[in-house]
Amino acid sequence: MDSAIAVLEWLKHAFEYVGGAQDEPPAGFPVRLRHWWFWALWWAALGLAIYVFSGQSSKFIYIDF
Amino acid sequence: MIFNSWDYYLLFLIPSAILCRLATPERRPWVIFLSGGLFFTYFSYTQFGGVVGAACLGIFLWESLVSRFYKPASWVCWFGVTQTVLFLVLFKYRNFLTGLVWRDAARNPLYWKHAFLPLGISFFTFEFLHYAVDRYKNRTEEGSVAEYMAFILFFPTMVAGPIKRYQDFLPKLRAISREWVVDWQRGATRILTGLVKKFGVADVLTAYTNHLNAADIARAWRPMLLVWLFAYGIKIYADFSAYSDIAIGSARLFGIRVPENFDWPYLRTNITEFWRHWHMSLTNWLIDYIYIPLGGSRRAGGRVYANILVTFLVSGIWHGAGVNFIVWGMLHGVMLVIRRMWRRVRPLPAGGPPPMWSQLGSWMLTYAGVNLAWAFFCMDVHTASYFFRRLFVG
Repeated sequence: MDSAIAVLEWLKHAFEYVGGAQDEPPAGFPVRLRHWWFWALWWAALGLAIYVFSGQSSKFIYIDF
Repeated sequence: MIFNSWDYYLLFLIPSAILCRLATPERRPWVIFLSGGLFFTYFSYTQFGGVVGAACLGIFLWESLVSRFYKPASWVCWFGVTQTVLFLVLFKYRNFLTGLVWRDAARNPLYWKHAFLPLGISFFTFEFLHYAVDRYKNRTEEGSVAEYMAFILFFPTMVAGPIKRYQDFLPKLRAISREWVVDWQRGATRILTGLVKKFGVADVLTAYTNHLNAADIARAWRPMLLVWLFAYGIKIYADFSAYSDIAIGSARLFGIRVPENFDWPYLRTNITEFWRHWHMSLTNWLIDYIYIPLGGSRRAGGRVYANILVTFLVSGIWHGAGVNFIVWGMLHGVMLVIRRMWRRVRPLPAGGPPPMWSQLGSWMLTYAGVNLAWAFFCMDVHTASYFFRRLFVG
């Protein structure tokens, strides 16, 4: 169970790193994925996703609070 | 719209963040104040109340003026608290409260036909109250007028948080991070991730959550009701955490770190932990300014339960001027009370975490409870009650 939790913790940290919420990657994060080309590709992928889905944009729920 | 509009990025965020970084430390608060003022005026005028909405910038200027008289143990602090609450009641609750007396709006002499909410009023109210109370208790320094105006008009967090604290913001404003490259790389990544969450998850789920109305509930195949409600649970998380991602990422472009708002709340295995990780800046505010002043957990059992219920009653009322929000808040209060009672009867086992099956069961119970309660968040009481009748009775 401890190892399963450790894996989940690692994944959480890795997701937060690629999502911009953590400054440092978790230990053991592939070195290749820290290079500038990874971030260029990642930003392009995010930009593409935004472009594909942006047509249906609606108001943020908490704006009206 | 705001965070998902080009205006936000091209007219405000990028120019202001660059200017703020280039400005001298003395001029930096003025840059933030001026850009925040322009931001408020522009988006209020175009989207929130027109000229009158834009004129609500006066609330910030008035609050800044009054705040100069806040001193430790001074009655002016309580004047500030009172006027801030009155602003909120006037704009947000006037029609709701007077509607309790005069049910027919046509006969209500106090009914405000063209009622609108000033941009971000629910959130800047919390920051005004925090500063007044903390000055009264001498828990924060006064700062200069420019620094205070930069605090309340810092536009990345002005509209919907995360709710900041002055004593936390001030040192960051005075010593803005100089790591341009790291801040912009991390900040931009956070903003892009937030936009994907908003467009690719929250907005996509609207196709399901739009069915949460009486007509569709009446026609629905019953298991679909649960799908729609649980879709709403994911949608509100994706939507609000996306908003927070963009706000936090935007602040990072200025070189300022603001509090986090979400930390994987749906993975939590009890309702207490859920609230420690959902809209964290609000939960912390409610704990510090409602729950603890009421006595917190230091009182006898019954009083602690009452304190929890009152805190979540305030949370419910704050979320919206409607009975459904009160019911939603009370449901969470009751779940927290039940959890607390349960822990008194069955304390956590000593010497390690509970077994996996127990944690899995707790997680399912928490997830189901939180999601079922969303019914009262996204529907009025009548429709939500009908939803549950259809779901459980047929």
